[in-house]
Amino acid sequence: MLKLKEVKECLYPSSIEEAARILREKGDKAKVVGGGLHISAFPNPLIETLIFLNKIDLNYILIKEGFFHVGALVSITELTENNGLKGFLRGNVTNSFCSIASELLRNQISMGGSIAQREPYSDVATILLTLNSKVIFHNGNIEETVPLEELYTKNFRLILKESVIKEIIFPNYDNSYHFGMGRFVRNATDIPLLNVAILSKIEVNKLKNIRIFIGARPAPAYGFKTLEDFLKDKELSEGLIKSAREFTKENVEAENDMRINKDCRKQIAGVFVEKILTEFSKEV
Amino acid sequence: MKVNYILNGEKKEFEIHPGEVLLDVLRRYGYKEIKGNCYMGTCGACAVLINGTPKTTCTTLAAQVNGAEITTIKGIGTINNPHPLQTAFVEKGAVQCGYCTPGAIISAYALLKKIPNPTEEDIKKALDGNLCRCTGYVQQIEAVKYAVKLLKGDDK
Repeated sequence: MLKLKEVKECLYPSSIEEAARILREKGDKAKVVGGGLHISAFPNPLIETLIFLNKIDLNYILIKEGFFHVGALVSITELTENNGLKGFLRGNVTNSFCSIASELLRNQISMGGSIAQREPYSDVATILLTLNSKVIFHNGNIEETVPLEELYTKNFRLILKESVIKEIIFPNYDNSYHFGMGRFVRNATDIPLLNVAILSKIEVNKLKNIRIFIGARPAPAYGFKTLEDFLKDKELSEGLIKSAREFTKENVEAENDMRINKDCRKQIAGVFVEKILTEFSKEV
Repeated sequence: MKVNYILNGEKKEFEIHPGEVLLDVLRRYGYKEIKGNCYMGTCGACAVLINGTPKTTCTTLAAQVNGAEITTIKGIGTINNPHPLQTAFVEKGAVQCGYCTPGAIISAYALLKKIPNPTEEDIKKALDGNLCRCTGYVQQIEAVKYAVKLLKGDDK
């Protein structure tokens, strides 16, 4: 079954500048391949040129100046098995990545590819947005660093038609920060019906610098600012957690689709918020 | 275009279409032990080891892994000289129709290379992308546990 019938050439640039230059030259008919899952599972008949990044060193995870630097070709599995990341935020970040899809798919999905595709149901996007990640990309001439949240508010697909993602960075939060994620799926290889991630500093049992993102609703992940404001500077207590669950059910932006209705999504979001905050209270 | 692989330990050169997935290339060249099914990466029947990592060949472009070392189920063991995992799958009844078996064993093989003494949770996690409609998974999990014993020479 030849899925990518129109592909005529495969190119293997030796630098990210060259990859971006080829992408600009070829326009809509070229595609940068990260892990390769998306293009092979959902082939685009317009694509004539595949740009593989295998010859460029984009497979690294470094800790530098208070940030994790993750190369665009790092797979989810490689990220979860990295020793520097294993204990990060009590292991909750790697555990969250481990819960995505199946081992076979985690071996293939690349971090750069996940960001570039940004499917509405993406768990990777929800996690990275919550961690306040930045994306470094190259357009052939200059390198730009943009917060992921900002990139997604722009026409990022247009930007990434002419640029290649090099790296994702996120702060190496200290242990005063807590992270948790919940995703609702029907089976290991299913896409989520809803996902929720929360990051918060807890100081003298009060929630600070809280970030909450909700995805697969079915629209792409968004920052749940009203809940952040509701929880900000409040003491983490059983009462607050129950109120947060009810607030979420009332206020989260969710819609119906053929897989699940919006009321169910709202209920699930509330349950996840409650579960994650309860875990935080146990960690303190 | 031409691609080169080290396939089950042997150097091979194949002529491919630039948009072809690895599954189709390998089956066309006679590696029928790799089973095609979902073409979405969701069933795991077509899994092989690519540079030691289990991946689905239906979602791997053949050109992307040019130069890679690829191992199919036949590279792990043969009928006359089976790997303990293959023996264990047969002895524990972890095979019925057999269609998913090559992929499941590839995933289990990669697990045991990484974690020689896996917990049941490790085994479930490693096999969670290999769908099986016959065995109900219980026998497969038992087979991997038994293979661990066989590999240690502790099968009594």
